[in-house]
Parts: sequence; structure tokens; C-alpha cells
Amino acid sequence: MGNVTDRREAHGGARAMSRRRLLRLGVLAATAPPVVLRARRATAQIGGAQPTPAPAPAGELKNPAEFRGPKIKASGPTTLSFWQYVGFHVEVQKFIAEEYKRRHDPNLSLEITAYPGLNEQRVGVKSALAAQSPTPDIIAIEPGAYAVDVSTSGSVLDFTKVFADDPEYKRGFWPNALDLLTINGAVVSVPAVTNTVIVYYNRSVFRQHGLEVPNTLDDLKKIGATLNAKGIIPIAYPAGQDRNFPIFPYYTYVGGIKADRLLREADLGLKPWTSPELVAGAEFVEMMAKSGLYAKGPLGIKEPDAIQIFATGRSAMFWGGQWMRRSIRAALPPGFDLGLFPFPAVAPGGHKPVLSSVGITLTVNARSKQPDLAFEMIKAITGAWGKIEYTKNLGLSPNGPISADAIAYQMQSLKDPLYPEFLKLQPTGTTRVIFTPVVEEAMTQGMQALITGQKTAKTVMESVEAASQKVGTRKFRTG
Amino acid sequence: MPPATVRYRWRRQAAGYAFTGPALLILAAFLLYPIGYSVWLSLHEWDGYTPRWGPFVGLENYRALVADEVFWRAALNSIVFVVVRTPLEVGLGFLLALLLNRRLAARSLLRTLFFVPVVMSLIVVTIIFQRVYEPNTGLLNTVLHAVGLGAWAHPWLGDPATALPAVIAVSVWKNVGFSLVILLAGLQGLPQDVMEAARVDGANAWQLTRRVITPLMRPILALTALLSIIGSLKVFDLVFIMTRGGPTYSTEVLATMLYREAFELNHMGVASAVAVILVAVVLSIARIQALVLRESREIEAA
Repeated sequence: MGNVTDRREAHGGARAMSRRRLLRLGVLAATAPPVVLRARRATAQIGGAQPTPAPAPAGELKNPAEFRGPKIKASGPTTLSFWQYVGFHVEVQKFIAEEYKRRHDPNLSLEITAYPGLNEQRVGVKSALAAQSPTPDIIAIEPGAYAVDVSTSGSVLDFTKVFADDPEYKRGFWPNALDLLTINGAVVSVPAVTNTVIVYYNRSVFRQHGLEVPNTLDDLKKIGATLNAKGIIPIAYPAGQDRNFPIFPYYTYVGGIKADRLLREADLGLKPWTSPELVAGAEFVEMMAKSGLYAKGPLGIKEPDAIQIFATGRSAMFWGGQWMRRSIRAALPPGFDLGLFPFPAVAPGGHKPVLSSVGITLTVNARSKQPDLAFEMIKAITGAWGKIEYTKNLGLSPNGPISADAIAYQMQSLKDPLYPEFLKLQPTGTTRVIFTPVVEEAMTQGMQALITGQKTAKTVMESVEAASQKVGTRKFRTG
Repeated sequence: MPPATVRYRWRRQAAGYAFTGPALLILAAFLLYPIGYSVWLSLHEWDGYTPRWGPFVGLENYRALVADEVFWRAALNSIVFVVVRTPLEVGLGFLLALLLNRRLAARSLLRTLFFVPVVMSLIVVTIIFQRVYEPNTGLLNTVLHAVGLGAWAHPWLGDPATALPAVIAVSVWKNVGFSLVILLAGLQGLPQDVMEAARVDGANAWQLTRRVITPLMRPILALTALLSIIGSLKVFDLVFIMTRGGPTYSTEVLATMLYREAFELNHMGVASAVAVILVAVVLSIARIQALVLRESREIEAA
């Protein structure tokens, strides 16, 4: 997910948040006019809309959330190990861990190992868990198959007791985010961030050709025809990025007709993948591939290529994730007028589907020798104070609702008008996760076959159903 | 046998075992044990997470593979990789080695240039070629448009028909320098008196190459071919980074299938079965190659 640019920026962000700077922020905030700090303190709205940021402050603000202390502290010098897979998150994780150590538990340190990517980290974690190693104490996992694997093998601990002891902590997460991480009734992990998949667009190109942000699929097709006639590629879509990207159009359609529950049931083997709604999703993928809306050969396009196509003005839109925002910003020439919108309604009168998922999520190794301390560290990183610092540094959506004051505080350094736009879309998100590995594989291959015109929608969904039936009764339930 | 001789022989053998012992131990620990363990795992069901492997399933994993069309697709792609890459790599390498074995003004520079891809990081190479092959802004299609061959422009990695040839081309580009260096070293080590005798007998350059150099180079050509075949069969990183075996398994090879089964689908038993088959194939090829070489040497000696 991360790239060099993201990492470089994250480094810069973390430098800006040195302890000295934090103290200075605190002092400035204390001396700022009180009206600023009281500005529109919004209550948490779980599942509702995110508040818009407070008006621009006169002085520098501080993180409005309380950094609560742990219930348990280390009795002597202790180092927790944490294996994760997103390099550009390291600095902010380190920053929060150091603040935690400074403010609450001087004996507790966090040693972060950042693998170059998810595949490498998963192989390392798999080996460690199979060897019954107590290291790492904290493991970063993805929702979906990875969460199922570590959960059903009894390799990680359940957060249910942690939530029971601290209901406020639980309320800090989007419920749909926790649903993705609830396997067989156990909350196996908690998200550090959430994210959305949306359409970025070049406002200048839209203005120049008299185009409006599309509300329906027909609007989008008309825009596509206009742009194609002008020699501009409508949408850069990096379907070759990884195995989830080819499924994005499918998730979009299914979310757009509110059939995501049906998709989940099919994923769990409870409903057939050949039901009319789910076959219609495949037909949508086929239609989109033939519509002339995408840049040529989407399966041969990866994220950096698509960003380049968009940033150089060859395409008017870019369909991608919130996590790419920084890479996109870094690639854009000065003066590029960047906007975003949710994918238009795929069905008449339907809603605009925004794909949503959780980013990196944190859990505790069942064989950790310091599980309680590991839980406390995770609470520090993902709790009320931590989530604001975490997303302030990265510009990703927090794992739950945050106040208008918090957004105002974050915007001091983020300075990106798109950030609050993302936050507004987050609660409307629908799933982009499949839990059964074999089914996910069949979906990836099936969608690729649709995009390349090798198979029909019906035959693809029949193969997905065959793969699903081959798995048999699932050993897990979700949500 | 007098006791002194026995002692002497024992001492000599002990010295031999002492010298080879550490290497044998390392070989056993890091080669034989993993191979044996893979064979063992291939007879079991295991998800790779639980501390102990699952139930013994006999040859079920192999049966599942035989019935899996993706396995046959991967096996076929691996064979295509070998059949296309090896002749190109060895042939081009030999051709270049013959050229660079002559007195050329920029010989050292050319040698270095041809060897650069070999020492370049594979990740860098794949990223470069992903950009080269990109359908909309990539170098290849841009050049094709520029020279009036726009009709040939193509989504090289996005089309199942062209993805495998595109990946093989990168593999050849990356590795031809390695063959070149080995073959050039071989050419420079050829006995000059034989060459001189051929020239005195009136052999022209083509005859010299065909009748003298090529037969003399046969063992080195065979070694280069063997290395290329094994490299082709083991190819993983290049395919994984460029296409992940897609689209629609069009570039899936045995090694990427092994990875997918082991770490994405959690079928460690099936993945181990693929590994066992791959090792068996590689060892068989190495053995066949060795036999062919020995036979050709015996014929030559006769």
C-alpha cells in the first residue's frame, strides 16, 4: 500500500511531531483563545456523518482527546515486539509508543519490525505462529482471510474482554469496521485506520469540457463518451495492482444495490454465488470493461502507472483508494485541481457506493508473554488520543468518529481539503473484503477473465460457486 | 593387513570425514532435511498456522494436483518458459560471446553493458519493464506509435495472450549477460593450436565456428543450458512481481503456484507436493544433462 513517497512524507510528519513540538503545541493551545478550543465540540456519531472541521484556528491547537493511562504497567524494563507490513506507518506508531512510554509507562518500549509488504510479513508471522513463538507480541493483520486464519488457528487473543472492561474504547471504533474483524463471535483485531475507495478527478478538465460530477452510471457513461471524443482517457483504473483490485467494480455494484449482506452470506457458503444479484455484479464488471471508460489494458496497469496517467492529464479520473492520496498529491503538478466523488449510483434511484475497509489492524499473539501490556499498547495506538495522532500524520481516515476539534487540529498540519471529504464518506462505506481464500482467488481470476473478455458473467459466477462449494462448510462466521 | 597400514588408512579417512563433515552437516540440515520435510508435508494436510501438521492423507495432495487445471496450466507455462527462454538465452549468449571474442574497439564496454542487467536488482528490472509495457504511456507502445506501428500497440501484461511472452522477454534480457560471460570465458579457454590448425587447413569463419568451436564448447554450452533450464523452472520473483501469475493464470508457473497454495490459500500439503514435483523435475533434468554430457565425452574420446 505504501510507497517511497508515502514513507518520506510520513518521516517528515513524524519529525514535525517531536516531543518538543508537542510541548510547544500544548503551550500554544493553552494560550489560544478559549473560543477556539470550545469550537463545535461534536459528539461521536457512530455510523453517522463525520462533522465538518471547525473554522481555521487563530493559534495552534492540541489533540483534544485525553491520552488515558493504562490499567497495567510493566514491572521492569520490557520490550514488546510488533510486526507490521506498512513502512510508512512506522514513524507515527513509534511516536505514539514513545509518548506512551514518556507519559504512562517508562518501562515499556515497542520494537517495530516493518516488513516490505503484506506477503512477506504474512510468511514471517505464519512461521512464527507455527513455531509457537511468543514473538511478535503484537501482529498487524488484514481483515478477511488473514484474520480468519490467525483466529481459527487459535493464534491470537480476543478483544472481547478488553472491550467489556473499557466500553468507551469499543465505542471509539466504527461498528462496521469491528464487524469485519469479528470471527466466530471474537473480536480478533482492532483497526488503526479505515479507508475508502473513491473516484479522484481533475476538476480543471471537467470545467474545461463543461462536465459535472456524475450522479448516475448513465452520467458517467456520457462523461466517458465526451472525454473519449476529446482524446482523454476517462478513468485510470489500476486493476493489475493486486488480487483485490480486479474485484473493486464487483464490490461497487453489489454495494450499490445494497446486496453486500448477500455477498457476505455467499462468502460464508450460506447462499449461492449464482443468485441473480451476484451474477448482475459480474455483468456490471463485464459492462464496465467494455464501456471504454477505463484506460486500455487495466490488468496491465499498476498503481504508479495509473497515478502517472492521471497526474499527467491523460485521464480525467482515477479510481482508487484513500491510501493513495499522498502518492497522487506527490505526483500532481502545481496547480492541479484535485477533487473526489463517490462512484455514481449503479442502479436507478440507488445510492452511491463507496467501498470501505479497515487498513492495518492490530492483534495480540496468543503466546505473547506480556499479553496485557500488548493490549495496553494497542489501546494507546488505536484509542481516542492515538487515533487522532495516527491519522493526523498519515491523512487516512481514523478507525472511528472523531470530533470537529480533532479534525481542526489535524488540518493544521494536513492542509489538504480532501481529508475532511474522505471522512464524510467513510461511514457510508460498503464491504470490499472476502473472507474465504479460495473464493477470493476464484473471484480474482473470474473478474480478470471478465475484464479480458475470456468468460461470461454467468460462467464466472458458476466457477466461483464451484470453488465455494469445494470449500464446504466454513469453520467460521463473521460479524 | 598390518596394523600400521590399517591405522594409516583410518587416519586418512578420518581426516577426509573431518574436512567434509561440516559441509555434509550443513547440506543435511539445510538441504536434505527440508526436502525430506517437504515430502513428509506433501503427505499431510496442514494450514501452516497450527503448530502441528494435520492428518496423514497419503497421496491425496498429489491426486488433487493432477485434477487441478491450474496445476497443468502452471506446468505448461513452466515448460514454455524453459523451451523459449533457454534457447534464446544460450543462443544469444553464444552469438554475443563469439562477437565479443573478436578484436573490437569497444569490446570491454560492450561486455560491461551486456552484463549490467545481470547485476541489476530484479525488483528494479521488473519495475522498469512494467513501465515499458504499460499500455497507455509505456515506452514500447509509445515507440510503436512513433514509428507508425501503432496498430501493434498492445496491453502486453494485461492480455493473457501476450503476458507470458512479455515476461519471458524480460527474463532473457536479464539473464543473457550471464550466459555470455560463461561462454566467453569458455571461448577464451579453447586450445588455440586446434583453431590455428583449422585455419591452416583453410577453414573459414563459419566452418571454424560450426566444426571446431561449437563441438569444443559443447560441455560449456550444456552447462549454460542446464543453468538456464533450472533457472527457468525455478522462476518466481520476476513473475510474482510483474503479474502475480495473471491475468487468468496466463503467467502462472509452478513456483508461483507453490507460493499461492502455501501462503494465500493455506494449502501447505498441496504446496509441498508442488515443491516435491519441482525438485524431482529439476534433479531429473540435471541427471539427464549429466548423462548426455558423459556420453558425448565418451564418443569424443572414442
